[in-house]
Amino acid sequence: MSLVRAERRRFFKRRLIKWLVVVGVVILGVIATAVFFDNQKVSAETLASAEAKAEAEYDFAMADFQRQLKACQEVPSGNVKPEYCQWVESGEQPQRDWYRAEYYMPSTFVFKGQFEEMIVVWAAIMAVIAFVIGASFVGAEWSTGSMSSLLTWRPKRMSVLGTKLAVLVGWLTTIAVVTGGLWTAALWATAVYRGSTAGMTPGTWQSLGLTGLRGLGLIVAIGVLGFALATLGRHTGVALGVALAVVVVGQVGLTILLLMLRVPYPEMYLIPTHLQAWMSKVVQVSNPFANPADCMGGQCVEQVKSITWQDTGSITLGAIVVLLVLAFWQMRRRDVS
Amino acid sequence: MTAVLEIQGLTKTYRARGGPRRALDGFEMYVEAGQVHGFLGPNGSGKTTTLRTLLGLIRPDSGDLRILGRPVPAELPQVIAHVGAIVESPQFFPHFSARDTLSLLADAGNLPQSRVDWALELVGLRDRAKERVKTYSLGMKQRLAVASALLKQPKLLILDEPANGLDPGGIREMRDMMATLSAGGMTVVLSSHILGEVQLICDSVTIISLGRRVAAGPVAEVLQAHSSGQVRVALETAADLSAAAQVLVAAGMQLQAHADHLMLTGVDKPALVARLLAERQLYVSELAPVHADLESVFLELTGTAPVPGQARQVDQSVKPDTAQDGVSA
Repeated sequence: MSLVRAERRRFFKRRLIKWLVVVGVVILGVIATAVFFDNQKVSAETLASAEAKAEAEYDFAMADFQRQLKACQEVPSGNVKPEYCQWVESGEQPQRDWYRAEYYMPSTFVFKGQFEEMIVVWAAIMAVIAFVIGASFVGAEWSTGSMSSLLTWRPKRMSVLGTKLAVLVGWLTTIAVVTGGLWTAALWATAVYRGSTAGMTPGTWQSLGLTGLRGLGLIVAIGVLGFALATLGRHTGVALGVALAVVVVGQVGLTILLLMLRVPYPEMYLIPTHLQAWMSKVVQVSNPFANPADCMGGQCVEQVKSITWQDTGSITLGAIVVLLVLAFWQMRRRDVS
Repeated sequence: MTAVLEIQGLTKTYRARGGPRRALDGFEMYVEAGQVHGFLGPNGSGKTTTLRTLLGLIRPDSGDLRILGRPVPAELPQVIAHVGAIVESPQFFPHFSARDTLSLLADAGNLPQSRVDWALELVGLRDRAKERVKTYSLGMKQRLAVASALLKQPKLLILDEPANGLDPGGIREMRDMMATLSAGGMTVVLSSHILGEVQLICDSVTIISLGRRVAAGPVAEVLQAHSSGQVRVALETAADLSAAAQVLVAAGMQLQAHADHLMLTGVDKPALVARLLAERQLYVSELAPVHADLESVFLELTGTAPVPGQARQVDQSVKPDTAQDGVSA
């Protein structure tokens, strides 16, 4: 327990970690503030004004349609008609449904409809911060020589690394829960004062809660990934370098390679697709290289595959477990020189 | 006396680009309880590898290591609470204060926080304890490293170059502290290149060269074993030196004549020199056995004495054909 206490204290004594948490909170705060001021509460007057504007736009469109129809009908036979006549004379006149009042209303924050995508924003920002924290928590220990010093106090290497990992997971969960709570509160307040909280049934809350849990899982998983890479490389910079290489060079290069090799469903192999699948529960990817023989009678049926959050979760969990096993094995075997 | 530290047949080979490099080659070392033991060797001789191996940071290829009678690294977790160590240059988080650094170590070792103030006071960092380590000089970092090693109030204290970066006052304080700790029953293993200091404070030494022990034992015995038996002789009248030389050579002695003195070698009884010369009315004004110091013994044993016009490379030192040659062997 003494090592747990020491590592818990060490976590928040690190200046970089403190600054990263502050930066994360500030970024979330700026976004929440912008969302707050960018939205307005819908009043009866606003709604009436929007409806009037929609009606006026519809009337104008109808009048324009009638004018164009008349103009087309008056073109002497034998003369070339303007292009729009083909559409106008087909009889497809503007529909009232095309001019809904909501299209003419100022932006308003509807919690039920918009909070889920804001959970993704929170998870993405905190995941990046968690990666750097995870990498730095163990990487800086190696690069400054503190790990070597600590091992002369606690020679059980597996126990030392395991404790550090457990403390990291604990703190990342705490940070994610606290920032997630603040994020929810800020956006709930935005909905109350600048939008609507209508329709929030227990089922809706449950659905949002599950999305939040997947966000929490993403944050912790990315943090652990940073930890494992920095342990393997014994330096924070190694984890950051690998991340940069995989995300930027790897993904761009892989996309080009997949397209060149005409691999079916190329998006299936890209990280953003899986991030989307994890947070949105399911994502569909299409095959741009479908066999023309699949097109029946001139109607091509698009070939699609679904990637579920369970698929992505299994792949990610597998990758993290493999990296952690390698990190612990290397910690056990390699000399500290 | 009981051995606090025992090393037998320690070998370690590093994989290097130029091929495997044997850092330790059957190395042996014994340190008895309550001693201040000097651990000496040229750069790259295997000192730090030995210390790191003892502390479980490096895995040896073979060998038997014991600390306080318990085999390491197998039982290191059971014995580590009694071992305080600094190995190589002091390394700490630059943004932590000295107090934070020691406090975290005390937590990790399940020690009372009151030890932190005790250790800071002992190494003279009490008034600077709240400052960040990055603002410290090398000497202050060294003091902090020693404080971290003393925090456990260990039975065995391993110090690798503790005087590195210390001012003259700090070096003397360090020497006094080691004497005090040793008097209190603590065993100290001191690795240092300041051989004058080692000669002053150490009870015994082990000298390592290219991974093998080249000498070991009490300091006085090591010096005696490698003393050349030289005697410096000066006469009241320098003009009599050549006559004195003839007398001594006739008596079977080997000597070198200098302008104002003679240097005799292999003399067992210096009094015999005085008697032989006095019989010929040649009166000595100086008759002094030349004592070897640790530095000259070290340079001789390790073959690292500088040669004018030559740049010695780090691996150019003496490796004994048969390992573990020394006083105690």
